[in-house]
Amino acid sequence: MKKIGVFVCHCGRNISSTVNIDEVVEEIKKYPGVALCTDYKYMCSDPGQDLIKKNIQDKKLDGIVIAACSPSLHELTFRNTAVKVGLNPYLTEIANIREQCSWVHSEIKEATPKAISIIESIIEKTKLNESLAPVKVKVNPKALVIGGGIAGIQASLDIANSGHKVILIEKSPSIGGRMAQLSETFPTLDCSQCILTPKMVEVSQHENISLFVYSELEEISGSVGNFKIKIRKKASCVDNNKCTGCGVCSEKCPVSVDSEFDEGMGKRKAIYTPFPQAIPNKPVIDKENCTYFSKDGKCGVCQIVCTLNAIDFDQKDEIVEEEVGAIVIATGYELYPMENMIEYGAGEYPDVINGLQFERLLSASGPTQGEIHRTSDNKIPKRIAFISCVGSRDPEHHLPYCSKICCMYMVKHALLYKEHVPDGEAIVFSIDIRTSGKDYEEFLTRAKEEGNILYIRGKPARIIKQGNDLVVWCINTLTGKQHRVKCDMVVLSMSMVPSSGALDLAKALRIHTNDFGFFTEAHPKLRPVESLVPGFYLAGTAQGPKDIPDTVSQASGAAAKVLTLFSSDEISHSPIIASVNEDLCSGCGICIATCPYDAREMDERKKIVSVNEILCEGCGACISACPSGASQQKNLTDNQIDNMISVLLHSNTKALERE
Amino acid sequence: MKDKKNLTTEINPEIRDILIEMGAEDIYKCYQCGKCTSVCPWFQVEIYDYPVFKFSLETALGVVASSEDKKELDKEIELIYRCVGCEACLEQCPHGISTPNILRAARRLLVDFDSYPETLKSTVQKTHNVGNPFGEHRENRADWAKGLNVLDYQQGMEFLYFPCCLPAYETRNQKVAQATVGVLQKCEVSFGILGVKETCCGEVIRRIGAEDIFKEVAKANIKEFKDSGVKEVLVTSPHCFTTFKNEYPDFGADFEVLHTTQYFSHLIDTGKLKLNKNFDKKVVYHDPCTLGRKNNIYEEPRNILKNIPGLELLEVENFNRSLSLCCGAGSGGLWLEWEKDERIVNVRLKQLTDTGADIIAVACPYCLQMFEETLKSMDVNIKVMDISEIIFECL
Ligand SMILES: Cc1cc2nc3c(=O)[nH]c(=O)nc-3n(C[C@H](O)[C@H](O)[C@H](O)COP(=O)(O)OP(=O)(O)OC[C@H]3O[C@@H](n4cnc5c(N)ncnc54)[C@H](O)[C@@H]3O)c2cc1C
Ligand code: SF4
Ligand code: SF4
Ligand code: SF4
Ligand code: SF4
Repeated sequence: MKKIGVFVCHCGRNISSTVNIDEVVEEIKKYPGVALCTDYKYMCSDPGQDLIKKNIQDKKLDGIVIAACSPSLHELTFRNTAVKVGLNPYLTEIANIREQCSWVHSEIKEATPKAISIIESIIEKTKLNESLAPVKVKVNPKALVIGGGIAGIQASLDIANSGHKVILIEKSPSIGGRMAQLSETFPTLDCSQCILTPKMVEVSQHENISLFVYSELEEISGSVGNFKIKIRKKASCVDNNKCTGCGVCSEKCPVSVDSEFDEGMGKRKAIYTPFPQAIPNKPVIDKENCTYFSKDGKCGVCQIVCTLNAIDFDQKDEIVEEEVGAIVIATGYELYPMENMIEYGAGEYPDVINGLQFERLLSASGPTQGEIHRTSDNKIPKRIAFISCVGSRDPEHHLPYCSKICCMYMVKHALLYKEHVPDGEAIVFSIDIRTSGKDYEEFLTRAKEEGNILYIRGKPARIIKQGNDLVVWCINTLTGKQHRVKCDMVVLSMSMVPSSGALDLAKALRIHTNDFGFFTEAHPKLRPVESLVPGFYLAGTAQGPKDIPDTVSQASGAAAKVLTLFSSDEISHSPIIASVNEDLCSGCGICIATCPYDAREMDERKKIVSVNEILCEGCGACISACPSGASQQKNLTDNQIDNMISVLLHSNTKALERE
Repeated sequence: MKDKKNLTTEINPEIRDILIEMGAEDIYKCYQCGKCTSVCPWFQVEIYDYPVFKFSLETALGVVASSEDKKELDKEIELIYRCVGCEACLEQCPHGISTPNILRAARRLLVDFDSYPETLKSTVQKTHNVGNPFGEHRENRADWAKGLNVLDYQQGMEFLYFPCCLPAYETRNQKVAQATVGVLQKCEVSFGILGVKETCCGEVIRRIGAEDIFKEVAKANIKEFKDSGVKEVLVTSPHCFTTFKNEYPDFGADFEVLHTTQYFSHLIDTGKLKLNKNFDKKVVYHDPCTLGRKNNIYEEPRNILKNIPGLELLEVENFNRSLSLCCGAGSGGLWLEWEKDERIVNVRLKQLTDTGADIIAVACPYCLQMFEETLKSMDVNIKVMDISEIIFECL
């Protein structure tokens, strides 16, 4: 039988104020198999660890239990301590008597016996623990980045610049994301495309980056270090090897539809590149609107005018298979649909537009070359209302969260509008203006003073159309005065929501999102750029609303995490995984269907099932599914669990008897 | 030195706690955006400032109807009784705060101290004494049905028809009850009425703040319905509808409730109600707050009107369905008089007449009453009809 040592931590007064440590030590000393039990004020401190090491050596312990805080905090600490004196790390176990006991009770009378039974059950587990060695997995030092906005661009460049290969996939015809649509950026008001396009070019020229635009992830399998992926390259009907991007096809194409890039404020052709600086500068055919496809074979003008013969109507979607070791998710955001705001007539009144539409009007390369005209009659608007928190901070009808950036872009919009139309009047309607970023409050002050911008504190209830004018109904909650403000145009700061398809992607990758579809980080403070599932990293607005500085910081953070993973050839994977007792397995194969990680395979020769140790995540699904008990989790076998439960039941009976 | 006026407002936690207890539990959610205020019908009465957004904050401070000065106090009480309970504010509030409930808490306090408007006191007393807010005799409650062959309700009948006090007593509104009965009889629906045993549902006195008397009335009604074996009630008034459906269950009611527009729409869809005659008129439908916003019944009334041959259905632009404007009669408003240019009903009637309609279709006795009364003094060529009356004309 094993010689087990038990070390009880006071955790200052965190544990000792509700658990009688002396009583615990006395009881545990009597427990069968316990060679030693002792306590210390802070077991995780150096003297605490020395105490453990000394006793392992002196008493020749071959299993230890640390009764302390949650294993998620110090399991690793104590396992490393034990390893230093030659004890296999998997023979060290934690009995959590803080989160599961002292913190949730107030009576010593109740907490003390509970602490004792928690420790006893972990002693039972430790008795049957085996020495294990971590599973070593080779790491494929190549990264996949999904989404080619500024987040994906930055992460790709950081990884590629450190000498590793990157595959960047972008679903639209060009990289650049939303930032490419912006005019000038707060708080410095530098031209968005001017600072973005050099990075886009760098991506396209980088020898370590393979760029797949007009592409999406089709399939994924494997786990951290070794993913297998399939990418669907949508048919663009243009042979990029022949096309030089001269643009004559787009010029001659007779079909004109609303441009997505211009947010419907301008037009594009059925064969198009979304914007002049697009990377790659190769057009794609939008099959839905192209008459060749929708009116079987009619038109074909682009094919006729293209002297290089680059148009290929028969091009098919292509599936590319790749292998990568890490995945960065940078799928970005969209704006909450304006049609949801019936009280503002949004989506119905042409001159009620959203922030991105206004960016396109402001942009020098936009559909109006930076002149602000309203949609309904092309007039230059002489008064614009900017309304904040539209859809955001409205738990009752829309979204409860603050979209974080809209206050700032509203301030920017008002100021830029005044620069474009100096005799125009900008009125901002808001509940409050949130400027919690470096230099942001200063930017607001400057915008207010330079632009003579009027701020009204209040959320308008209605926008009523009177002829071509829009009347904003509002109350100023500071003065209590009613306002019916006649405007030529209204810009709504719509909330940020995850890009469409984010939820499907999350399902395919088997990683978590929050209730609104933003990807969830492993820890909100301490692990903000990792997903809970190893091998997946998060960058930019896919994880939550943020501005460009935060997006870029997070992207570089995600890249650093990827590089940490790539810094060694191998990673070790916990050995607490499933195993198969070959004598008991009947080869029924139920576990194969159960395993969500495809880690089980039939050994056709032996007619039994085996476990792929690299793929197994130790979730335990197969173990509960196995009808013959052949499937066991290492160091958490049925025997161990039975013993732990009977100790707990037994001590419960003891407690009842005592009462 | 002379006494200086103290401008410091003391926070009064006791009053606040009492008001929370009385139904103002939403107050802490308010972030003072003011959306409620500019969607409130009083905003459209352009000369009158109604500070809806302040009510939750003032309640949280416990400074409701707290003035020492009699004149000031009267003004505060007036503010509390201006609200017509239309829930336009609730519909738009980002935090789902019910200002009418907050004000109802204040009203309960005022009723407890007997300091509320005299006309409303009389409404409450009459309802308590004779079972209707007009003080009409109980024995005359079923006079409207004389000569129409309307049976007393008996167990086993499909519906109890409950007309509401206005159609029971008030001459113009009686025609609605009569038309409703006519439609039901034509469709051979088995129904009866409680007649002189019928008592007001109590909606209005509850909104006025007379909670205890309301409870008494509600319990008595529930007992009466149970004793008569009522399983399903058909109502003309959205106010009875919401009280029976959403409030009586708290006091043990377990019967079903249908509004006439729901039932008639169903009869049309299933082919049981056939509309044969043409109604060649332009009709604009006015959504009653209590049917629409409060109970989400927007499409059934429109479905009926769309099925009437010859009828052209109009909508009030910008102010229909959930964005409809109140007629001003709710929560005691029918009994309160405001200065001529301070009336919600005038604003609404202007919106309705501006559509160019010949007829305003309503589905609520309060709206009908309010519009009819006001139209008398207006020089416009428009008529008000309940949807049941229009159906009856087309049989
Ligand atoms: C009106 C407005 C004004 C703004 N102004 C400023 C400003 O002045 N200053 C500032 O700092 N910030 C500003 N911002 C914020 C800024 O736009 C964002 O912080 C930034 O663009 C976020 O970058 P991203 O890469 O996370 O997302 P995105 O730019 O949205 O990029 C995501 C990319 O991923 C692609 N994608 C999505 N799903 C998939 C998929 N399944 N497969 C492949 N590709 C996919 C998308 O096509 C897109 O190209 C503004 C935002 C708005 C709405
Ligand atoms: S075939 Fe015609 S419609 Fe289609 S992309 Fe070419 S030019 Fe445009
Ligand atoms: S524990 Fe079982 S279900 Fe889970 S990954 Fe391993 S084999 Fe698959
Ligand atoms: S319920 Fe109607 S009247 Fe009362 S405050 Fe709200 S919007 Fe105004
Ligand atoms: S709409 Fe709601 S949150 Fe806004 S001021 Fe009115 S009650 Fe408060």
